[in-house]
Amino acid sequence: MAHSLSPECTPLKHAYDSCFNTWFEAYLDPHPTNPSASSSHKSTSPQSTPLNATSQAAYAKAQAAEFEARCGRVWREYRACVMKAVHEKGLGELLEQARAENPLKTPPDVRRLRVSANELGMSVLGWAGLEMFKE
Amino acid sequence: MHFFSQTFKYDHPWSHVVIGMWHKYPNPHCTHVVTVDVIDRSVDPTTGIIRTERVLGCKQKTPTWIVKLFGGSEDAFVREISFVDPASQVATITSVNLSLSQFATCFERIQYTPTSSGQTAFLQTAEIQARMAMWRSMADKMETWLVQRFEQNANLGKAGFTDVLRTMWEAKQQQAAHS
Repeated sequence: MAHSLSPECTPLKHAYDSCFNTWFEAYLDPHPTNPSASSSHKSTSPQSTPLNATSQAAYAKAQAAEFEARCGRVWREYRACVMKAVHEKGLGELLEQARAENPLKTPPDVRRLRVSANELGMSVLGWAGLEMFKE
Repeated sequence: MHFFSQTFKYDHPWSHVVIGMWHKYPNPHCTHVVTVDVIDRSVDPTTGIIRTERVLGCKQKTPTWIVKLFGGSEDAFVREISFVDPASQVATITSVNLSLSQFATCFERIQYTPTSSGQTAFLQTAEIQARMAMWRSMADKMETWLVQRFEQNANLGKAGFTDVLRTMWEAKQQQAAHS
C-alpha cells in the first residue's frame, strides 16, 4: 500500500484503505447487474440488463450504510490527519482553487468523452484507434 | 494546447480492474508516485456510485530551465477524482495537477468499461496547456516537454497496472484454489 503524504497518517491510511477494499470487493461481487457485461451474450452496451430501479436503490442505500458502519470511524480519524497535513504542505489553497474550478461532483458524461476522443483522433499521439471499442 | 490519447485492453474483467485501481501504487514501474491519500469519498445512496477524491504525491525530475523560470520543487501533487458506477459498469478517473498549475495544466481522463468478451477497455485522454502569457515558442517548448513526460508516465502506468493486476489476481486465484 502506498504511503500517506504525512508519515504520521500512514498507519491510519492503511487501516482505512483495508477497510474500504474489503467493503468494495464485497460491494462489487454480488452487485445485481454485475454478470450482465461479462456474460457471453453479445451486447455493445454495458447496461444490457436494466435493473429494477427500486431494488438497485435499496441495494445502494444498504451498502452505503454498511460502509459507514464499518469504515466511518477510521475514515474520520484518517481524514482529520491527512487534511491537517494537506494544509501544512501548503496544498489547502491549491486544492480549494482546483475544486472551485472543477467541482466534479457528478460523473463525466461517458458518451461525450468518447466523442471528444474521436475528434482528437487527428492530433493525437500514440493513437491506437477507436476500433478497439467496436466489438 | 497539446493532446494525448491512447486506448488499450486489459485482459481482466471490469470488476477486477476497478478493484485493482486501489492497488495500483506503489509499483516498480511508477516510482514517481510516492504517496496516495483519499481526501473525500462518498457512496451515493440512490445510484450506488462511489466518488473518491485523492491527492497523489509525485517526485519528478524537472528540467532546470523550468525550475529556474517558475520555481517549484521535486514534489508535485495531483488531484484525482474517480467515479465507479457498479450498476452501469463504468469507471472514470479525472486528474489535474495542483502543483505549478498557475503555469501549466494537465487534465487527464481515464475510463474503464467492460467489453463484450470479458476484457476491460481503457481509454485515456489528456489536454496539456501552458497557462501563462509567454512567448509562443516557450509555451510550445514547455507543452512539448510536458506531453513527452506524460506519454512516458502513461506507458509506465500501463505497464505497472498490467503487472499489478496480474500479480493480484494470480495470488487470489491461488488462494481460492488452496482454500
